[in-house]
Amino acid sequence: MREGMARIWTVASKELVDFVRDWRTLVALVLVPLLIFPLFFIALPLFMQGEMSELDQYYLDLEVQLADGDELPDALSQPFADHRLNQTVTTLDPNLSNLSDTGDDAVRIQNGEIHVILRLRSSQSNSTESWDYAILYDATQELSSEARSRVFNVIEAWEDDIINATLAESNLTREEALDPIHWDGDFGEANVATSAQIAGFALSMFIPMIVAIWTASSAIQPSVDLTAGERERGTMEALLCTPARRVELLYGKWLAVATVAAGSVLFQMLGLLIAVSFLLPADTFGVPELSVGAIASLLLSVVLFAVFVVAIELALAVRAHSVKEAGTVLGPVVLAFIVPAMFAQFVNLEGIEWWWFVAPVFNVCLAMREALLDITDLTHVALWLGSSLFYAIVAVTWAAKQFQREDLVESIS
Amino acid sequence: MSRTILSVRGVSKSFGDVHALKDVSIDLHRGDVVGLVGGNGAGKTTLLRLLCGLYQPTEGEVVHLDKSGIEHPVAEVRSNLGVVPESTGLYARLTAWENIRYHSRLNGISDKQAWNRTFRIARELDIEDDLQRPTRGFSRGMRQKTALIRALSHDPELLLLDEPTGGLDVTSARKVRALVRKLGEEGRTVIYSTHKLNEAEEVCDRIIIIHNGTLRADGTPAELMGATDAPTLEEAFVRLTQDASREVETPEPASKFQQFWSRLTTRVRKPPGNGGENDA
Repeated sequence: MREGMARIWTVASKELVDFVRDWRTLVALVLVPLLIFPLFFIALPLFMQGEMSELDQYYLDLEVQLADGDELPDALSQPFADHRLNQTVTTLDPNLSNLSDTGDDAVRIQNGEIHVILRLRSSQSNSTESWDYAILYDATQELSSEARSRVFNVIEAWEDDIINATLAESNLTREEALDPIHWDGDFGEANVATSAQIAGFALSMFIPMIVAIWTASSAIQPSVDLTAGERERGTMEALLCTPARRVELLYGKWLAVATVAAGSVLFQMLGLLIAVSFLLPADTFGVPELSVGAIASLLLSVVLFAVFVVAIELALAVRAHSVKEAGTVLGPVVLAFIVPAMFAQFVNLEGIEWWWFVAPVFNVCLAMREALLDITDLTHVALWLGSSLFYAIVAVTWAAKQFQREDLVESIS
Repeated sequence: MSRTILSVRGVSKSFGDVHALKDVSIDLHRGDVVGLVGGNGAGKTTLLRLLCGLYQPTEGEVVHLDKSGIEHPVAEVRSNLGVVPESTGLYARLTAWENIRYHSRLNGISDKQAWNRTFRIARELDIEDDLQRPTRGFSRGMRQKTALIRALSHDPELLLLDEPTGGLDVTSARKVRALVRKLGEEGRTVIYSTHKLNEAEEVCDRIIIIHNGTLRADGTPAELMGATDAPTLEEAFVRLTQDASREVETPEPASKFQQFWSRLTTRVRKPPGNGGENDA
């Protein structure tokens, strides 16, 4: 027993050293998981902000087409200039069916002759002022879209001024007219959930899915490398000639792959927390307060899931005739873990049916959700624990059987 | 005669329709240095894999006999085996010493013991300065030497060497052959698989010829030459191996569906260790 454990540890530690020395593995399983969420949630918005401010610097051409007899309101002329819009005023074609009818102007915009056209026509109403308008632009051209956005902002501000002036004539403020029923006090204060509970709730929507998806996908490459890869490189034969039992080799390799996959998942969660804490203020998003039972439940569910997933992937990789075939087989298999994990996020925990807690993948994802929400239901715990243990044992038994195959030495095909 | 340590009794091995070995019986004694000779695809690698328990015989048995004459399945006494597979099986990102240490740990040997033994053999093979280098940049010869040290690091009683001088320069090959002879003199049993007859004649005191999966001859070089009335061992080998290719079962005629499916999923089927690559 002690010798067996020593051999398992020898295999696992050698495989871990081998992983650490491979820069591609480090990039795929450490750097990418750590950076993916900060890149999406921090770097991408900052980059977009930078690009938008770059567009702000451009002077764009605006043509204002006014109906015969109308004049460009003073409330527009200066703001257009402030928004870096070079304006020219022309007369509106009277034959247009409506102001959005692009007519011959479509070609001028598409050719880049003009970035945007504002059509204005005064109309009659009880308001202090009333106008019909349309903005012609090309949504596929960045500068045209930017010009449209600037014109729209100016029009909106002008409209607000008109509304305020009309309301003022009736002795009303904007709030009195448009917001007669309003919230008193701080909106956030009325929520009885603590920031820790809010964090737990928010994370319960993310963490189970990340764990399921990333465990399954990050275990692929090491699983293939340690089985079909070893066979292809000829190292498996020498290894099988040692006194280590095949099941010990499997456990050692499993331990290494599971460690790498778990590390990868942890790095990704760390990246997620960094991104979330950057985006949300600390008083809204705290550290989840979990009971010891919830933490134990969370860890146990992750471990059992990792046992299950890694054993299946190792077994499938052993069955493959080559590294290429193993990759081809394991790619789609990951979907079998990802799809249930995604659906599990939308299962209502209130009044949930018991069988959800025995369905593969769902059981672990739901267990993690309950743990993060600090819900302790002993029936649910017994169900997911029992079923996960069962699936893990079946997967490991199957993997151990695959490791007894003669073609583990060299592929028959 | 010294005691028998390994006995191969009526062993046959098939992979699907292909009979890789048929009814092979050999006894190996302590201190024997046995040359396992055969052409490409003769069945040498299959036999070596049966001897170290990687394959199970389709028929017959391979047993290890301990000092008391008690029989054990080979898989149970692997710590008594040192194996150099043809592919050498070294991990490229580990140093030569780390590769050796990995196997010696799996054999239950302390690092200190393994290092002392490794350094001594490495010096004999002129590779002691390369022990701390990753094997990624090693030449074929250096890989062979490292694999040989790895096989010897736990002081095994029986050594199975598959083409141990393949890829070695003349000087290195000579050193390996000298080491093998010395191992035999120390009382170790060595099975030396090769297709170089002059090398087998120089190193081994007994030669087993395998051809098309069958045992064609087993004796000293002089006995083989005498039995075939041949002036040289090479001539004896040629006379013993002049016949058609191995027996293959004629498959049942395929149905139309099977023919269609076969066209869709065509694969070249080849028995492991028997298809030339490993015996090359």
